[in-house]
Amino acid sequence: MIEILSNLLHNFYYLIAIILFVIGFHTMLSHSNLIKKIMGMNIMDTAIFLFFVSIGYVEGGRAPIIELGQDHVYVNPIPSALILTGIVVAVSVTAFALSLIVKIYQHYGTVDAEEIMRIRSREV
Amino acid sequence: MTALAAHVPALVVVNLLMCSYIMPVLARWKKHLCIPVALGSVSFSFILSIFLTFQVSRQGAFSYALGGWAAPWGIEFVVDHFSVFMLLTLTGVGLLILVYATEDLIHELKQDVVGWYYTLYLLLMGSMVGLALTNDLFNLFVFVEICAIASCAIISIKENRECIEASLKYLILSAVGSGGMLLGIAMIYMVTGNLNFTYVTEALPQAFELYPRNIMVAMSMFTAGIGVKAALFPLHVWLPDAHSSAPSPSSAILSGLVIKIYAAVFIKIFLRMFPWDVYETVPLMTIVLIMSSVGIVVGSMFAIVQEDIKKMLAYSSVAQIGYVFLGIGLLSQNGTLGGILHIFNHALMKSMLFMSAGAIIYSTGVRRISDLKGIGTKMPLVMSVFSIGAFSMVGIPMTNGFISKWYLAIGALDVDKPLYVAVILLSSLLNGVYYLPIVVNAFFGEGKESVTVHHKLPWKMTLPLIILASAIIITGIFPKLMLGLADKAVMFLLN
Repeated sequence: MIEILSNLLHNFYYLIAIILFVIGFHTMLSHSNLIKKIMGMNIMDTAIFLFFVSIGYVEGGRAPIIELGQDHVYVNPIPSALILTGIVVAVSVTAFALSLIVKIYQHYGTVDAEEIMRIRSREV
Repeated sequence: MTALAAHVPALVVVNLLMCSYIMPVLARWKKHLCIPVALGSVSFSFILSIFLTFQVSRQGAFSYALGGWAAPWGIEFVVDHFSVFMLLTLTGVGLLILVYATEDLIHELKQDVVGWYYTLYLLLMGSMVGLALTNDLFNLFVFVEICAIASCAIISIKENRECIEASLKYLILSAVGSGGMLLGIAMIYMVTGNLNFTYVTEALPQAFELYPRNIMVAMSMFTAGIGVKAALFPLHVWLPDAHSSAPSPSSAILSGLVIKIYAAVFIKIFLRMFPWDVYETVPLMTIVLIMSSVGIVVGSMFAIVQEDIKKMLAYSSVAQIGYVFLGIGLLSQNGTLGGILHIFNHALMKSMLFMSAGAIIYSTGVRRISDLKGIGTKMPLVMSVFSIGAFSMVGIPMTNGFISKWYLAIGALDVDKPLYVAVILLSSLLNGVYYLPIVVNAFFGEGKESVTVHHKLPWKMTLPLIILASAIIITGIFPKLMLGLADKAVMFLLN
């Protein structure tokens, strides 16, 4: 038990990333407002990005720019480079989702998922 | 020529992506060029896939380093028997659907978005071909995201309410799936320090002893992420709406190819990357088996009660993707062979069924199953093709559906799990319950006079149907062709 706790404390940034992930996931599932769902999705994505970037962190490391003759400790650049791509992907998914929500608002006059369900069930 | 031949693995993907990017320009200024360029690009990729197939059968699997950066640093494409099997399926069926789409779309979409449709279609094809070839985890994630956005957009392009809503639901759920996959990739990278499949495979046995928790979390994240995207049973909720409301060519490609490519990704990750002895300690494959067999039965049951023909086909897809995962989950040689073969067979059957349903809607405007009585006399060709697809779905001998079910059953017996043979038999009966009445009523039912044929089918819509129907029969009678390739793919995965 104490071992687990001390492990968590040592890797607190992983813990925080997972807490953020759960917050995002919960927002996404429990809110009926579509905009809030998209916000939850973004929080979730950000949590994963934080998690991924913190994997590459080295205690006391600096930006990986090699200077000749100097012997520094560098952070791992690969996760940061990958996450730049990941951020671009997340932005485009968000943009697409928001544009779909605009269309839904035009058709239904609301962005509330439950309201939309009610409108649809009334029609059938 | 030889210099170019070395770059074929990259060309298959790049050709589709480049043509997709120039399509909006063509749609704006040279509208008449859209269709020839799109067809040319997919046929070019098809020819290259055939070329790669010959190359692989001659010299065995080989890898290609993108941009000249060798494996651990750069992105690597691996051309092996399994990826060429997927390539042939994707480009071959994709080409036929595109031929069908060129005619069907004019009636289903607004004039000014037809050009954009080809952008999305080629983007989707390109990302799927990339998924089949890639050997790099992060590259896999990028292609998965392209595939997800393109497949949502290909639904919402028909801007009515059902499509937009289904598309948003699909987008949100598949974003959760991609998030899960990225978290899984992070976990794998954390303990192995590599993103390349080959290097990860080498590092995994040792990593599993040191950090079993990380790997288990990664496995569950991958299963959930891919499960959402491939519509594995309890995660299938988005599929029926999305696949039934989309334009018919989109339904055909989504049901026929897109959910299959995620099954292929699942095979790549779990059968090639993870060592098989992991499954002796982690009951992952048992979970997959339960999910898929429940999916097979429940998907068919849902399909029985549907009134809309496209919705019925969509629920049938939920059941059929279960077969593929059942084959993977059995972890036996014949089972995996059946699963892989079913990827190809179901791609043929389901795209054909969706296209013939689309043809019926195109000609008569009828979507309700009960209104289809007596339509066989009015549209004999489409309904005969539909019947062949229906027989194949049920798994009647002489059709290819029988072959894959046969190997699945043998695979289940090989590992001493006769329960799954019962599942396959039961679901074949259920398939019969909802497919055969349509066929019988279409040809022998008393037709209402209200069903009239408004449009005659153009040859561009009938030709793909005829080709696919004959392919079903030919691969059913002479299964050697695809079976040989699938067999080599399984052998490759086993090593």
